[in-house]
Amino acid sequence: MNVGQAIIDGTQEVFTTMLMVELVSGDPIEGKGGDVEANITSMLGLGKDIRGMLAVHCPANVAKDITGTFLGMEVEELDEDVKDAIGEIANMVAGNLKVSFKENGQDIELAIPTTVVGDSFRTGGMPGATRVAVPFTMNGSTFLIELKYMVAT
Amino acid sequence: MGKNVLLVDDSSTMRKIVGRSLRQAGLDFDNIFEAADGIEALDVLEKESIDIVLSDINMPNMDGISFLREKSTREGIKDIPVFMISTETGDDIIGEAKSLGAIGAIKKPFTPEKVNEVLGPLM
Repeated sequence: MNVGQAIIDGTQEVFTTMLMVELVSGDPIEGKGGDVEANITSMLGLGKDIRGMLAVHCPANVAKDITGTFLGMEVEELDEDVKDAIGEIANMVAGNLKVSFKENGQDIELAIPTTVVGDSFRTGGMPGATRVAVPFTMNGSTFLIELKYMVAT
Repeated sequence: MGKNVLLVDDSSTMRKIVGRSLRQAGLDFDNIFEAADGIEALDVLEKESIDIVLSDINMPNMDGISFLREKSTREGIKDIPVFMISTETGDDIIGEAKSLGAIGAIKKPFTPEKVNEVLGPLM
Protein backbone atom coordinates (compact mmCIF):
# COMPACT_ATOMS: atom_id res chain seq x y z
CA MET A 1 0.00 0.00 0.00
CA ASN A 2 1.30 3.47 -0.92
CA VAL A 3 0.50 5.39 2.26
CA GLY A 4 1.64 8.77 0.91
CA GLN A 5 -0.66 8.44 -2.11
CA ALA A 6 -3.51 7.36 0.17
CA ILE A 7 -3.02 10.57 2.20
CA ILE A 8 -3.01 12.65 -1.00
CA ASP A 9 -6.11 10.98 -2.43
CA GLY A 10 -8.01 11.05 0.87
CA THR A 11 -7.22 14.70 1.56
CA GLN A 12 -7.95 15.90 -1.95
CA GLU A 13 -11.32 14.12 -1.91
CA VAL A 14 -12.28 15.91 1.34
CA PHE A 15 -11.36 19.34 -0.04
CA THR A 16 -12.89 18.78 -3.47
CA THR A 17 -16.14 17.42 -2.09
CA MET A 18 -16.72 19.56 0.99
CA LEU A 19 -14.93 22.83 0.17
CA MET A 20 -14.97 22.79 -3.65
CA VAL A 21 -11.22 23.50 -3.54
CA GLU A 22 -8.60 21.76 -5.66
CA LEU A 23 -5.54 21.24 -3.45
CA VAL A 24 -2.03 21.05 -4.84
CA SER A 25 -0.06 18.30 -3.10
CA GLY A 26 3.69 18.12 -2.60
CA ASP A 27 5.67 14.91 -2.60
CA PRO A 28 5.12 12.63 0.41
CA ILE A 29 7.95 12.79 2.96
CA GLU A 30 8.93 9.60 4.76
CA GLY A 31 10.81 10.10 8.01
CA LYS A 32 11.75 13.55 9.31
CA GLY A 33 11.25 16.83 7.51
CA GLY A 34 8.67 18.98 5.84
CA ASP A 35 7.46 20.66 9.03
CA VAL A 36 5.40 23.84 8.70
CA GLU A 37 5.07 26.66 11.23
CA ALA A 38 1.71 25.59 12.59
CA ASN A 39 -0.53 27.74 14.79
CA ILE A 40 -3.18 25.03 15.04
CA THR A 41 -2.90 21.26 15.00
CA SER A 42 -5.71 18.75 15.11
CA MET A 43 -4.78 15.18 16.06
CA LEU A 44 -6.78 11.99 15.92
CA GLY A 45 -5.75 8.68 17.43
CA LEU A 46 -5.82 5.43 15.46
CA GLY A 47 -6.24 1.98 16.97
CA LYS A 48 -6.68 -1.72 16.24
CA ASP A 49 -4.53 -3.01 13.29
CA ILE A 50 -2.89 0.38 12.64
CA ARG A 51 -1.94 2.28 15.80
CA GLY A 52 -0.85 5.86 15.80
CA MET A 53 -2.00 9.36 15.04
CA LEU A 54 -3.12 11.47 12.13
CA ALA A 55 -2.42 15.20 12.46
CA VAL A 56 -3.37 18.28 10.44
CA HIS A 57 -0.87 21.12 11.01
CA CYS A 58 -1.97 24.57 9.79
CA PRO A 59 -0.62 28.12 9.90
CA ALA A 60 -3.29 30.52 11.14
CA ASN A 61 -4.09 31.95 7.70
CA VAL A 62 -4.70 28.50 6.21
CA ALA A 63 -6.86 27.40 9.15
CA LYS A 64 -8.99 30.55 8.84
CA ASP A 65 -9.20 30.10 5.05
CA ILE A 66 -10.36 26.48 5.40
CA THR A 67 -12.94 27.40 8.05
CA GLY A 68 -14.21 30.39 6.10
CA THR A 69 -14.62 28.26 2.98
CA PHE A 70 -16.31 25.51 4.99
CA LEU A 71 -18.80 27.86 6.64
CA GLY A 72 -19.16 30.44 3.89
CA MET A 73 -18.17 33.37 6.08
CA GLU A 74 -15.23 35.60 6.99
CA VAL A 75 -13.13 34.20 9.86
CA GLU A 76 -11.06 36.70 11.88
CA GLU A 77 -9.36 34.63 14.59
CA LEU A 78 -8.52 31.08 15.68
CA ASP A 79 -11.77 30.60 17.56
CA GLU A 80 -13.93 27.57 18.38
CA ASP A 81 -15.27 27.42 14.81
CA VAL A 82 -11.71 27.07 13.47
CA LYS A 83 -10.78 24.38 16.00
CA ASP A 84 -13.94 22.47 15.15
CA ALA A 85 -13.46 22.79 11.39
CA ILE A 86 -9.82 21.63 11.42
CA GLY A 87 -10.84 18.75 13.69
CA GLU A 88 -13.48 17.74 11.17
CA ILE A 89 -10.90 17.85 8.36
CA ALA A 90 -8.72 15.47 10.41
CA ASN A 91 -11.74 13.26 11.03
CA MET A 92 -12.70 12.98 7.35
CA VAL A 93 -9.11 12.44 6.12
CA ALA A 94 -8.70 9.71 8.74
CA GLY A 95 -11.99 8.19 7.59
CA ASN A 96 -10.71 8.03 4.02
CA LEU A 97 -7.42 6.49 5.21
CA LYS A 98 -9.44 3.93 7.14
CA VAL A 99 -11.09 2.90 3.86
CA SER A 100 -7.67 2.64 2.14
CA PHE A 101 -6.19 0.50 4.91
CA LYS A 102 -9.36 -1.64 4.93
CA GLU A 103 -8.77 -2.39 1.22
CA ASN A 104 -5.30 -3.51 2.33
CA GLY A 105 -6.86 -5.89 4.86
CA GLN A 106 -6.16 -3.72 7.91
CA ASP A 107 -8.89 -2.37 10.17
CA ILE A 108 -8.57 0.97 12.01
CA GLU A 109 -10.60 2.36 14.88
CA LEU A 110 -10.82 6.16 14.93
CA ALA A 111 -10.78 8.31 18.06
CA ILE A 112 -12.33 11.77 18.36
CA PRO A 113 -10.07 14.66 17.21
CA THR A 114 -8.22 16.89 19.68
CA THR A 115 -7.15 20.37 18.54
CA VAL A 116 -4.34 22.52 19.94
CA VAL A 117 -3.88 26.26 19.24
CA GLY A 118 -0.71 28.20 20.02
CA ASP A 119 2.37 29.95 18.68
CA SER A 120 5.00 27.56 20.02
CA PHE A 121 4.28 23.88 20.42
CA ARG A 122 5.54 20.57 19.09
CA THR A 123 3.92 17.19 18.81
CA GLY A 124 5.94 14.09 19.55
CA GLY A 125 5.88 10.57 20.88
CA MET A 126 5.65 7.10 19.35
CA PRO A 127 9.34 6.20 19.05
CA GLY A 128 9.84 3.67 16.29
CA ALA A 129 6.71 4.70 14.42
CA THR A 130 6.67 5.20 10.66
CA ARG A 131 6.08 8.83 9.72
CA VAL A 132 4.61 9.91 6.39
CA ALA A 133 3.85 13.61 5.85
CA VAL A 134 2.38 15.38 2.84
CA PRO A 135 2.43 19.17 2.30
CA PHE A 136 -0.60 20.67 0.57
CA THR A 137 -1.03 24.15 -0.87
CA MET A 138 -4.34 25.99 -0.66
CA ASN A 139 -4.59 29.50 -2.12
CA GLY A 140 -0.79 29.84 -2.05
CA SER A 141 -0.24 28.77 1.56
CA THR A 142 0.97 25.41 2.83
CA PHE A 143 -0.33 23.05 5.49
CA LEU A 144 0.78 19.54 6.41
CA ILE A 145 -1.00 16.24 6.92
CA GLU A 146 1.12 13.86 9.01
CA LEU A 147 0.57 10.19 9.75
CA LYS A 148 2.60 8.40 12.42
CA TYR A 149 1.78 4.74 12.70
CA MET A 150 2.82 1.24 13.66
CA VAL A 151 1.30 -1.98 12.41
CA ALA A 152 -0.08 -3.93 15.36
CA THR A 153 1.43 -7.37 15.79
CA MET B 1 -46.06 20.39 5.10
CA GLY B 2 -42.31 19.96 5.64
CA LYS B 3 -40.47 17.74 8.05
CA ASN B 4 -38.67 18.53 11.27
CA VAL B 5 -35.08 17.28 11.06
CA LEU B 6 -32.68 16.59 13.94
CA LEU B 7 -28.93 16.79 13.16
CA VAL B 8 -26.70 14.94 15.63
CA ASP B 9 -22.95 15.58 15.38
CA ASP B 10 -20.30 16.70 17.88
CA SER B 11 -18.90 19.02 15.20
CA SER B 12 -20.82 22.30 14.97
CA THR B 13 -19.15 22.81 11.57
CA MET B 14 -20.59 19.55 10.28
CA ARG B 15 -24.07 20.37 11.64
CA LYS B 16 -23.95 23.66 9.73
CA ILE B 17 -22.77 21.94 6.55
CA VAL B 18 -25.40 19.20 6.69
CA GLY B 19 -28.07 21.86 7.29
CA ARG B 20 -26.77 23.87 4.35
CA SER B 21 -26.74 20.75 2.17
CA LEU B 22 -30.39 20.09 3.03
CA ARG B 23 -31.27 23.62 1.96
CA GLN B 24 -29.15 23.43 -1.21
CA ALA B 25 -30.75 20.11 -2.08
CA GLY B 26 -34.14 21.84 -1.99
CA LEU B 27 -35.60 19.26 0.38
CA ASP B 28 -38.92 20.01 2.06
CA PHE B 29 -38.42 20.62 5.80
CA ASP B 30 -39.74 23.12 8.33
CA ASN B 31 -37.20 23.16 11.16
CA ILE B 32 -33.69 21.88 11.78
CA PHE B 33 -32.90 20.95 15.39
CA GLU B 34 -29.35 20.20 16.54
CA ALA B 35 -27.69 17.97 19.15
CA ALA B 36 -23.98 17.42 19.91
CA ASP B 37 -24.22 13.80 21.07
CA GLY B 38 -26.66 10.95 21.65
CA ILE B 39 -27.72 12.20 25.09
CA GLU B 40 -28.75 15.59 23.72
CA ALA B 41 -30.44 13.88 20.77
CA LEU B 42 -32.62 11.72 23.03
CA ASP B 43 -33.59 14.84 24.96
CA VAL B 44 -34.64 16.65 21.77
CA LEU B 45 -36.60 13.62 20.54
CA GLU B 46 -38.53 13.47 23.83
CA LYS B 47 -39.41 17.19 23.69
CA GLU B 48 -39.92 18.00 20.00
CA SER B 49 -41.89 16.53 17.14
CA ILE B 50 -39.06 15.17 14.97
CA ASP B 51 -39.70 13.38 11.67
CA ILE B 52 -36.19 12.22 10.77
CA VAL B 53 -32.77 12.11 12.48
CA LEU B 54 -29.41 12.45 10.71
CA SER B 55 -26.70 11.22 13.07
CA ASP B 56 -22.94 10.86 13.24
CA ILE B 57 -21.46 7.70 14.79
CA ASN B 58 -18.20 8.77 16.49
CA MET B 59 -19.24 11.22 19.21
CA PRO B 60 -18.25 11.78 22.86
CA ASN B 61 -20.58 11.07 25.81
CA MET B 62 -22.97 8.86 23.79
CA ASP B 63 -22.01 7.70 20.30
CA GLY B 64 -24.38 7.01 17.43
CA ILE B 65 -24.61 3.27 18.08
CA SER B 66 -25.41 3.74 21.77
CA PHE B 67 -27.94 6.42 20.80
CA LEU B 68 -29.71 3.98 18.46
CA ARG B 69 -29.67 1.27 21.13
CA GLU B 70 -31.15 3.56 23.79
CA LYS B 71 -33.70 5.08 21.39
CA SER B 72 -34.93 1.59 20.43
CA THR B 73 -36.01 1.03 24.05
CA ARG B 74 -38.11 4.19 24.35
CA GLU B 75 -41.71 3.65 23.30
CA GLY B 76 -42.56 7.17 22.16
CA ILE B 77 -39.53 7.73 19.93
CA LYS B 78 -38.30 4.30 18.84
CA ASP B 79 -39.97 4.45 15.42
CA ILE B 80 -38.52 7.83 14.33
CA PRO B 81 -36.24 7.04 11.36
CA VAL B 82 -32.49 7.61 11.75
CA PHE B 83 -30.02 8.04 8.88
CA MET B 84 -26.28 7.83 9.68
CA ILE B 85 -23.85 10.46 8.27
CA SER B 86 -20.36 9.42 9.25
CA THR B 87 -16.75 8.74 8.30
CA GLU B 88 -17.50 5.21 9.53
CA THR B 89 -18.65 3.13 6.58
CA GLY B 90 -17.44 -0.36 7.44
CA ASP B 91 -19.96 -3.13 6.91
CA ASP B 92 -19.64 -4.15 10.54
CA ILE B 93 -20.53 -0.81 12.12
CA ILE B 94 -23.14 0.15 9.52
CA GLY B 95 -24.59 -3.33 9.87
CA GLU B 96 -24.82 -2.84 13.62
CA ALA B 97 -26.48 0.56 13.10
CA LYS B 98 -29.04 -0.97 10.75
CA SER B 99 -29.71 -3.82 13.16
CA LEU B 100 -30.58 -1.13 15.72
CA GLY B 101 -32.99 0.63 13.37
CA ALA B 102 -30.91 2.94 11.15
CA ILE B 103 -32.44 3.11 7.69
CA GLY B 104 -29.27 4.00 5.76
CA ALA B 105 -25.92 5.78 5.75
CA ILE B 106 -24.02 8.52 3.91
CA LYS B 107 -20.22 8.65 4.04
CA LYS B 108 -18.44 11.90 4.89
CA PRO B 109 -17.27 13.70 2.80
CA PHE B 110 -20.46 14.15 0.81
CA THR B 111 -21.96 16.53 -1.75
CA PRO B 112 -25.38 18.25 -1.57
CA GLU B 113 -26.29 16.12 -4.60
CA LYS B 114 -25.59 12.97 -2.62
CA VAL B 115 -27.73 14.27 0.26
CA ASN B 116 -30.56 14.98 -2.17
CA GLU B 117 -30.26 11.59 -3.88
CA VAL B 118 -30.33 9.64 -0.62
CA LEU B 119 -32.63 11.73 1.57
CA GLY B 120 -34.96 13.13 -1.09
CA PRO B 121 -37.26 10.09 -1.10
CA LEU B 122 -37.57 10.31 2.70
CA MET B 123 -38.51 13.99 2.90
